[in-house]
Amino acid sequence: MKRRSFIQTSGLASASMLTPAFLRAGLRPSNSSRQGKILVVVQLSGGNDGLNTIVPFGDDIYYRARPSLSIPPAEVLKLNDYQGLHPALSPLRNLYDRGELAILNGVGYPEPDRSHFRSMDIWQTGSSSRENCSTGWLGRYLDHLPRDQHAYHALEVDDGLSLAMKGELQRGFAMSDPNRLRRSVRNPLLPDQAHTHVHEHHTVSYLYETLTRTTEAADYLYEQSGIYRSRQSYPIGRFGRDLKRVAELITADTDTQVYYLSLSGFDTHARQQGPHQRLLAQYAKGMSAFVADLVENDLFKEVIIMTFSEFGRRLAQNGSGGTDHGTANNVLVMSGGLKRAGILNAPSSLSRLDAGDLIFDVDFRRLYATLLDRWLGAPANQILNGHFEAIDFI
Amino acid sequence: MSPSEWIDRKNWTVAEGIDHLFKQAEHAKKLDKEVSSSQESDGIMSSENRQERRREEARKVFQIGVRWIQRMGDPSEAALLERISLFWHGHFACESKLGALAIKQLELFRAYGLGHFRDLLLAVSRDPAMIRYLNNQQNRKDSPNENYARELMELFTIGRGNYTENDVKEAARAFTGWSSNLRGEYVFRRFQHDYGRKTFMGRSGNFDGADIIDIILERKETAYFLTQKIYRYFVSDEPHERRIRQLAEGFYRSDYHIGNLLRHIFSSEWFYEPENIGQRIKSPVELLAGMIKHLRMSDLDPRALFGIQRALGQQLFKPPNVAGWPGGKQWIDNATLLLRLNLAAAVFKGIELDVNLRPELEQSQGRNLRGINATIDLLPISKLLDHVSDRDIYFALADYLLDAKVPPPPSDILSTRLNRAQIISRSCLQLMSLPEYQMC
Repeated sequence: MKRRSFIQTSGLASASMLTPAFLRAGLRPSNSSRQGKILVVVQLSGGNDGLNTIVPFGDDIYYRARPSLSIPPAEVLKLNDYQGLHPALSPLRNLYDRGELAILNGVGYPEPDRSHFRSMDIWQTGSSSRENCSTGWLGRYLDHLPRDQHAYHALEVDDGLSLAMKGELQRGFAMSDPNRLRRSVRNPLLPDQAHTHVHEHHTVSYLYETLTRTTEAADYLYEQSGIYRSRQSYPIGRFGRDLKRVAELITADTDTQVYYLSLSGFDTHARQQGPHQRLLAQYAKGMSAFVADLVENDLFKEVIIMTFSEFGRRLAQNGSGGTDHGTANNVLVMSGGLKRAGILNAPSSLSRLDAGDLIFDVDFRRLYATLLDRWLGAPANQILNGHFEAIDFI
Repeated sequence: MSPSEWIDRKNWTVAEGIDHLFKQAEHAKKLDKEVSSSQESDGIMSSENRQERRREEARKVFQIGVRWIQRMGDPSEAALLERISLFWHGHFACESKLGALAIKQLELFRAYGLGHFRDLLLAVSRDPAMIRYLNNQQNRKDSPNENYARELMELFTIGRGNYTENDVKEAARAFTGWSSNLRGEYVFRRFQHDYGRKTFMGRSGNFDGADIIDIILERKETAYFLTQKIYRYFVSDEPHERRIRQLAEGFYRSDYHIGNLLRHIFSSEWFYEPENIGQRIKSPVELLAGMIKHLRMSDLDPRALFGIQRALGQQLFKPPNVAGWPGGKQWIDNATLLLRLNLAAAVFKGIELDVNLRPELEQSQGRNLRGINATIDLLPISKLLDHVSDRDIYFALADYLLDAKVPPPPSDILSTRLNRAQIISRSCLQLMSLPEYQMC
């Protein structure tokens, strides 16, 4: 018997909220309905200023280029003698010390594009800046799986689905609020799927199938989201709510392997300091609560969280107290199952620039290849349409 | 089709119908000067002003899109012209950031969209919106930019596998100096043009852009590439190899006359076979325009239109990239399908929509799509049903609204408690909530 139905039939639902770890200890993994490990992708939309996130406080060039925007050395949470965390990221310090946070410097791609939309497309499709690709890297991951996956195998916490989650044949599932989703599948005008009539047309049947799968998924996710209640305190706002929802779904053993969520507002061209610090604080508080939920339920070893942004920002601040679109950036990876943690590679050079921008050292597709191959156990070459050397951290 | 058109044409022969479509297109009005001309922001503007200007222009571009959708939904406008313009907008996918450039490009599709493809292609190659989008103003003799030359072959004419990297390089040289000025006009910059000898697709000469286009059009692969795309758009998402070959042959012989190709398609018997009707998933814009037409919707809230376009993944003048909207099943995921199916109920005020749209990348605030405030007018539809008995209304409407067979009506529609107006309204709402309504 699956645990979910065990809990429901035995009337333990409320008890389970209080003692999830206890229940888990005896029942996992054999009773878990989920197969394999979990990937959580966090997208920072708008182009996060990586140089004010992982701060190169050991470099004078940084301070010269950002006379009023740099983080004073005394405030930086130093990780080594060159780089440290923005003070708003203090909730992540513990993770770093415990070896559960890895930082990859200088991630990007050749011939960088400074348009938000284009660069986000490049990251989401996992293609080069010369291609126009209409499928996402996680969508292609779904394509390669056997056909009988649940609709919610990959779940985006949003009312719309990102390109990253759209494959040629399979799509991820979008849901921001299980109640809302359930209401919208309950429009009484929608065709009664019990007597779905026979369709001679392939495409219409596709629509009916999608509707049926959506309705089933909506019911399942609605149930799942009521099984476990987090006791952590997440930051107020959408991002915190989304993270909490994912934590609750994961803890309830939801049969979902990939989660995708995003935090917006990083396009800080003017008067960056305050807004950027608030965004980072929101991010860090959210991640720390999320990780605490996973740790409490002994799940952090099975989850990896990757955080990226479509590009970083230029080294020099601009005339309005902000920064303009740049290129290479840091990527943050968190998990209880990292093989290597800490700062994984040399920081981007601040003296060798391309017209004022950092030059990338690590192709972002190497990171994807690592996650696909070593975490999800999928054929990375096939999904990424080429060979990208794995990075040795998992 | 609108109700009145449908009544009028029910007795027409196919040939009469086709003639009518083309006549309408010929006599279509020029778009009124929908926007005041846009000046490029100059260097001395502050960044706040520049941002304000950008927003202002984005609003204009959006308004042009709104009017376009309204025209598509207006039975007195030239349906074929609007459809082919939408096709070319997807084919020559291009994001326009200035209102004046968006309207200029749309005028271009209307002027050349049904004529010879060569004229259209030349006009597009000299279109300021396209020149900017694909960086051709940076394509100079001493530092060529290959972007336009590459997409010209990969996406606009012949397709991958029919040219070499060297062809791209040489074609780029031929298009050097095709530029646009600050007033948003095409200019040929003589001093940036490379007058030297080029070797392109096995031929050599002092080619310029127009010569490159001619050489590409001599290749039959180009006719095939364009025909299969037009077939997918006008006939079915499922390609039919033999028919496409035949059509492409005729298209090539007609010197790439687009109108002729369409006439050929529309007058083929297979075009009216059930296997080719109701086979395509409507694009979001087609879906909206169809609803406007069927329900004679007016006073449509532009914010709702914006929200729906965004949530469903098709914003006019803002394609995802130069390859255009992928279309077909790619329109559909769980979120877009539910929104599509719930649209009619929202229009009939049966339900509230409740969709949170994520912020655009450069913004921090998302938006909510709550409902669609519009006035609907069911009178024209009722006229259509003048001689139909209450019991047959549902099926008569199905015949009009859908291109597919429908499931039987829910029992309450046939119950005697409803009056005629209620039956009509209930039937419309029910039929427009079916997945079949998503097809055309």
